[in-house]
Amino acid sequence: MIIRNLSVRYGRFTAVDDVTLEIPDGRIVGLVGESGSGKSSLARAVCGLVPHTGTVEGARRTQMVFQDPYASLNPRMTVARTIAEGAGPGEVERLLGLVRLPAELAGRYPRELSGGQRQRVAIARALGGDPGLLVADEITSALDVSVQAAVLNLIRGLRDELGLTMLFISHNLAVVRYVADVVAVMHRGRLVEAGPAEQVVGEPAHEYTRALLAAVPRLRG
Amino acid sequence: MTPPPSTDPPVPGMSPAPGTSPVPGSPLAGVPDGHGPVSSSPPQGRKPEAGGRSRVGGPVRGRWLRGGGSPDPGPSRAGRFGWVRRLGASGVGGVVIVAGMVVLAVVGPLVWGEAAGRIDAAAILQGASPEHPLGTDNLGRDLLARVLVAGRYSLLLALAATLVGAVAGVVLGTLPSVLPRRAARLVTATVNALVAFPGLLLAMFTAVVTGLGARGAVLGIGAAIAPGFARLTQTLAARVAGADYVAAARMLGVPRRRILTRHVLPNIAEPLILNLAQAFGGALLGLAGMSFLGLGVQPPQYDWGRLLFDGFPRIYVTPEVALGPAAAIALAGIGFNLLGDALARAAARTSATGAPAPAPAAAPPGEPDPGAVLEVRDLTVAFPGGLTPVREVSLSVAPGEIVGLVGESGSGKSLTAAAIGGLVPYPGTVTYGALRLGGRDVATLSDRELGTALAMVFQDPLAALNPALKVGGQLAEVAVVHEGASRAEARRRAVDRLGHVHLPEPERLAGRHPHELSGGMRQRAVIAMGLMGTPRLIVADEPTTALDVTVQRQILRLLREVVDETGAATLFISHDIAVVGELCDRVVVMYAGRVVEELPAGRLAGGAAHPYTKALIASLPDLDTDRERPLAGIPGAQPGPADVGPGCAFAPRCALATARCESDRPELAARGAGQRVACWEA
Repeated sequence: MIIRNLSVRYGRFTAVDDVTLEIPDGRIVGLVGESGSGKSSLARAVCGLVPHTGTVEGARRTQMVFQDPYASLNPRMTVARTIAEGAGPGEVERLLGLVRLPAELAGRYPRELSGGQRQRVAIARALGGDPGLLVADEITSALDVSVQAAVLNLIRGLRDELGLTMLFISHNLAVVRYVADVVAVMHRGRLVEAGPAEQVVGEPAHEYTRALLAAVPRLRG
Repeated sequence: MTPPPSTDPPVPGMSPAPGTSPVPGSPLAGVPDGHGPVSSSPPQGRKPEAGGRSRVGGPVRGRWLRGGGSPDPGPSRAGRFGWVRRLGASGVGGVVIVAGMVVLAVVGPLVWGEAAGRIDAAAILQGASPEHPLGTDNLGRDLLARVLVAGRYSLLLALAATLVGAVAGVVLGTLPSVLPRRAARLVTATVNALVAFPGLLLAMFTAVVTGLGARGAVLGIGAAIAPGFARLTQTLAARVAGADYVAAARMLGVPRRRILTRHVLPNIAEPLILNLAQAFGGALLGLAGMSFLGLGVQPPQYDWGRLLFDGFPRIYVTPEVALGPAAAIALAGIGFNLLGDALARAAARTSATGAPAPAPAAAPPGEPDPGAVLEVRDLTVAFPGGLTPVREVSLSVAPGEIVGLVGESGSGKSLTAAAIGGLVPYPGTVTYGALRLGGRDVATLSDRELGTALAMVFQDPLAALNPALKVGGQLAEVAVVHEGASRAEARRRAVDRLGHVHLPEPERLAGRHPHELSGGMRQRAVIAMGLMGTPRLIVADEPTTALDVTVQRQILRLLREVVDETGAATLFISHDIAVVGELCDRVVVMYAGRVVEELPAGRLAGGAAHPYTKALIASLPDLDTDRERPLAGIPGAQPGPADVGPGCAFAPRCALATARCESDRPELAARGAGQRVACWEA
């Protein structure tokens, strides 16, 4: 799948400026950048949620997982109904299993779930749409670190198990490096660097990538 | 991109939007980010009482929302009469009146129907008398009986008009979300025009066009109600339509109509239903008005408005014949409006349930530690229902030292910070052995002393700044209020402080509004606000969580600089152990309300002893994490404040746990220099 010359404009403001990015089949492409770099606008454009110019080729059925698990599930719908919306009622149990949630949760409402469980339900809902591309927009930034670890492990497991193609967006370079095969860096609406994860992190070519790397907090010692 | 939200779960009951259902559960697990340094209103509009009864040395802060206010009076009655308290006196009045009206509508015609229709040629146009307390009409019929009988018809007509208006309004309001763009605009514009049109004119026009009589009046009032409903529906629907779950449904290919019925309508139903009760009251009055104008019910049928119309010419001679139906209309209108108000209020608020937390006996305060700016000993925060999210926390911060308080959502770290600042939300109770700022009990400090000695920085700088005021003015306010500085002097200092936190062109920036600044600049402005006084203690609660890593780095550097320069003691709260490790001198790790480990930040990477601290560090990916192996998560979940057992709270998730860990709680014990650990096995 390839994103070609994609631009998103809000009035006179250009949020995404002529971005071309290839997302190889069965791989996870990590997209990093700070607030306002246009990474979320790019994600929404790929999903057809905002008007854009340029083309997205080879993407059949794009699904998205959102940042805030407290706002992305309909509070009046049970887990089963939420997941069944894309997949049909027969698939609920299988999808819950895929995201490592017990089947008993099917009858619960979102308010009865923890943040991590909600995010898993959102992933199951997206998987129910049989996505050719799954877009994950900051899906761990509202979670605790221990929960984040479990969700990241799940994402990597799903890639290996289902051959999932994924655009994984985060402002945290360490997280992106861990889950992604390819890392793309956005800055002020433009793609400034893209390459294999270890290469981008190990030998950053662009000055902005280096600044991002330097800003990642590390433990001393 | 929206800034990432708080890592703590939302606080149920803190600020439910109208229409969100009250979430059952505890009123805690986090502290609202919205309480800025100058915020002063309690979250639910209830001020804790000044003389808190059960406060055991809780901080007494007039300016801030006080922790440890007295618990709700008479919670033991909450079980039996909970609904009475929730509705309030006016709500109960509304319920009683409406119930009376319903009974009247059911039984009225059965009991008084005959009396109301009995023609008595001997008693025509009489005033009040023992037989006819409200007099008689021109056929000698008893007016009291007629008023009582007319209740059913009046209420039925009002119900019909409300339903007509509500259905028409909801349809008009939701059409824009299913129609194509151009048609949707047309509908929206029509609704906007109708909202601007006077309701009474709309009602009269519709009634005249559709024919005089009850049907015309009902349609007329319905037409007058509809635009308001349409507008409300549109506004509510637009908010829900922007929700992520609607976007998700669209991507899954759910048709628009199904999105409307499944996602939008169920989530806006509650405020619409609440609005119905008020609309009903309005319809009742409107119909009476129409009948009174002669546009409504025509003889031989009669409703209250018609009776008023018939009685009105006689008002100077026998006023009771007009006042009877007028009183009935007024009473019904008041009843339904009170009920509607009370329902809306009850829905917008969640009540704290359960018994008040028993105040634990305060530990002896002990001697002040001369080397500490902030000294906390055995700090406990409790909420009604036996919930204790912070348990006997002790920590101290020396001048110029940054102490990191780290833990996951629900560990009690934010509530600990709130308790130190006197910001624990109602109905929390704060108790402590010692809570000293600069060697003095915070309860003995005046607002002014505390206002200048303590600076608080929160996650959301936009919530800490008043959006309507210019940045410079808000900073100057601090000096004017707390130090009695003159306007010019305060302003000069504000500009100086803005420059101090490395904001470019501070002079110009002081004249800007908060929304004109970026997130990082706002956070700098908030820190500058804290520097307006001479802070001895800075409490920073997740100040960089909403910021990018590059901006985060700048803010951390600024904090360090400020601390080095002012010598202020700093308590830095974060869920990110890497950030804490990088910035802080010492780290205090909290789990399920208790401190489980305390150690120098430099030893986090190699010297952490508690299994929880180690697990926290291991679960965080960094730039050297092995990509081939799964991240080490922590199995299970942190127990809620009500589920903490007698043993070590971490035991169920701990690989080292033994039977002893399940039954006995390990106390914090010293382990080497500057390190304390609460663990039997580590």
